[in-house]
Amino acid sequence: MNRRTFVASTCLGTASLFLDQASSRADEEVRLPPPPPIHVHGMPLAERSPLGMPGLFPGRVVEVFHSKSILENYVSQPIVRLMLEHGMQTLTGESSVKAAWERFFNPSDVVGIKINPSGAPACYSSPELVREIIRGIESAGVPTRNILIYDRYSTEIQAGSYHALLPVGIRVIGLEHRARDVEAYDLNVYCEANFFGEWETRSYLARVVTQQITKIVNVPTLKDHSAAGVTGCLKNLGYGSFNNVARSHHAPITFTDPLIGVMCSTEPLRSKAVLHIMDGLREVWHGGPLTQLQEFIYQAGTLFLGTDPVAVDTVELQTIEKKRQQEGALSLWDRNPANIVRSEREYFRDPHKNLFFRQPAHIEAAGKLGLGVWEPSKIDHRRLDLG
Amino acid sequence: MAEAPTHEDFWAALLCDNSRAGGQGPWPKRPPQSARWQLRLEGSVRSAPVLRDGILYVTALDGKLYAIETVTGRPVWKFQAEDRIHSTPSLSGDRILFGCDSGKVYAVDRRSGRELWRASAQAEVWTSPVNVGDLALFGAADGRFYALDVATGKTRWARDLGARIYSTAYATERQIYFGCSNGNVYSLETASGRVIWSTLTGNGLDSSPALSSGLVLIGSEDFYLYALDATTGTIRWKLATGLGIASSPAVAGDTVMAGSKDGYLYAANIPDGRLRWKVRAGWVITAPPVTSGNVVCGQAMGGGVYAMDVRSGQRIWAAGLGESVQSCPVLTEDAIYLATTEGMVYALA
Repeated sequence: MNRRTFVASTCLGTASLFLDQASSRADEEVRLPPPPPIHVHGMPLAERSPLGMPGLFPGRVVEVFHSKSILENYVSQPIVRLMLEHGMQTLTGESSVKAAWERFFNPSDVVGIKINPSGAPACYSSPELVREIIRGIESAGVPTRNILIYDRYSTEIQAGSYHALLPVGIRVIGLEHRARDVEAYDLNVYCEANFFGEWETRSYLARVVTQQITKIVNVPTLKDHSAAGVTGCLKNLGYGSFNNVARSHHAPITFTDPLIGVMCSTEPLRSKAVLHIMDGLREVWHGGPLTQLQEFIYQAGTLFLGTDPVAVDTVELQTIEKKRQQEGALSLWDRNPANIVRSEREYFRDPHKNLFFRQPAHIEAAGKLGLGVWEPSKIDHRRLDLG
Repeated sequence: MAEAPTHEDFWAALLCDNSRAGGQGPWPKRPPQSARWQLRLEGSVRSAPVLRDGILYVTALDGKLYAIETVTGRPVWKFQAEDRIHSTPSLSGDRILFGCDSGKVYAVDRRSGRELWRASAQAEVWTSPVNVGDLALFGAADGRFYALDVATGKTRWARDLGARIYSTAYATERQIYFGCSNGNVYSLETASGRVIWSTLTGNGLDSSPALSSGLVLIGSEDFYLYALDATTGTIRWKLATGLGIASSPAVAGDTVMAGSKDGYLYAANIPDGRLRWKVRAGWVITAPPVTSGNVVCGQAMGGGVYAMDVRSGQRIWAAGLGESVQSCPVLTEDAIYLATTEGMVYALA
């Protein structure tokens, strides 16, 4: 069944968009309600940055593996450095690591590193990787004081101990400290939709994105997601920079497709996100994004790099789907109503159950918004095995 | 000279007092049955409350220090700092000391809530200042460890270690011990700030040390609980846990207990590091446990507040409320006081 989603935009210079969403095999099994119109109020830009999504290398994904990058859950920072250096050079084609970072950053930039601490401490953006990304950004001449890490939830950041593990001078910003904290958000940049009759129908973009930083390095994790199918570059960036996103889920229905892609296409988020480095050292193949159950966390020892979040997430989707097949879990595309449970506890412990009719097609939808390449045959997937 | 806050009958600093042994006060006569009162603060709480003379002192992310009557739950006064407060307040005579995220460190009169002095670090101060003699001692995120005159706030010395400090120090008249984000546990000379020794662990430290039997006990993000010789820094033993340790250890007799981010509370034999027991207390433990007699009590994420038998690890009682990232309960004979991430303060009796 094809669904049409209307996305209205008041962002200057942007016409209204019509999304012709892909038919999914899932719709053959259950009829899902169409998403409501989403009204986008972005920030007017004089010119869209060429570094913005899909960025300098549309369709290119560099996958870097090292068997000793994580041993017994402990991440080796020297090996992560090696992986990152090779990955950056392969992504950019530059002959030096410094030159690779300079393709994205210059000394006048203020760089935000969008981490994913949800799921900390079992599976989150590794501080060891974040430290190496900081080193790379500094090598391009960006002063330490101009580098910050951010996410929505300060409790999750604290659970990850980022504050105690990063170099002096790096700012660590949690946007929300407890429920309904809104002071860190820009009330002039939002996506508005009424999904389930909620009283607050707007999701606002973080002020740190609209007003402080000039570039974003997105550091998602390799995880399945109970609603979105997977949580990768797109979901980490969109749902981690806008507030009030849980309202897009009302089990078993979720409107992560198309909201994730719409948020990521909103300016200035789209233009500022220039590099995506997915932490695949650990791979959550069931129970993401919050599970702490080690039996569903595989130590994959991999990083994925790209400027195209759609391409990276497409590879992520394939990777997790393959792992789930190996483990005998349900397909991420499964939409059999008989597999839906209401108990989170049951879901977390049983990979043959779902909480939602998952929406992995949110990646394809984002591709159709121009954020990147979603067709697997068109993705330039480069694999590096470093040992 | 200010009195040293080491009296065992009241809570003066993180984990009761500078000995960091945890709850030295008596355990409540019976498990709590209900909330005597509850108070919603204007900000999330990421620090531990301290108690003296029937007043509970609580800092919060709204930048306020609250003085709350324990009988009624009524705030007596509030003090507004210039930024968020993650620092657990400590008491030095009638002074309350704490830091805030702008780098300011305050001394406030505990009876009136009036500011006595303020000093500045160059970045946030999440640690709890420790008072020894006439010094207030604390580390900051600017990579420096500071010694201030506790009466005036003037800097006596500052030692630049080049890496963030989120570990509240254990201090004696001669030596100071704390962990650092560069993976080192440091011992400094109290009088001068000279580095006496440093011992490298496998990752940064977010945990605050305890001292027992001549051993510095501290957790590291490298998953290990360490026991270091307090004189030399030599590693005597280390105990593996499943994930990093941000929780500060508490001591009861010859047992040390610390929570790990794997959700388990670990109890080890202090002389040799032998694991006595481990018990799951929540999804994640980053907050320190406290002890009183044969009971260990703490707050977990995804688990609320728990109480266990020190000898066996058997659960005595648990409650779903009280979830916290870094706070720990205050134990008294007739009540337990809790502060939570959502900004609630409870008196359970």
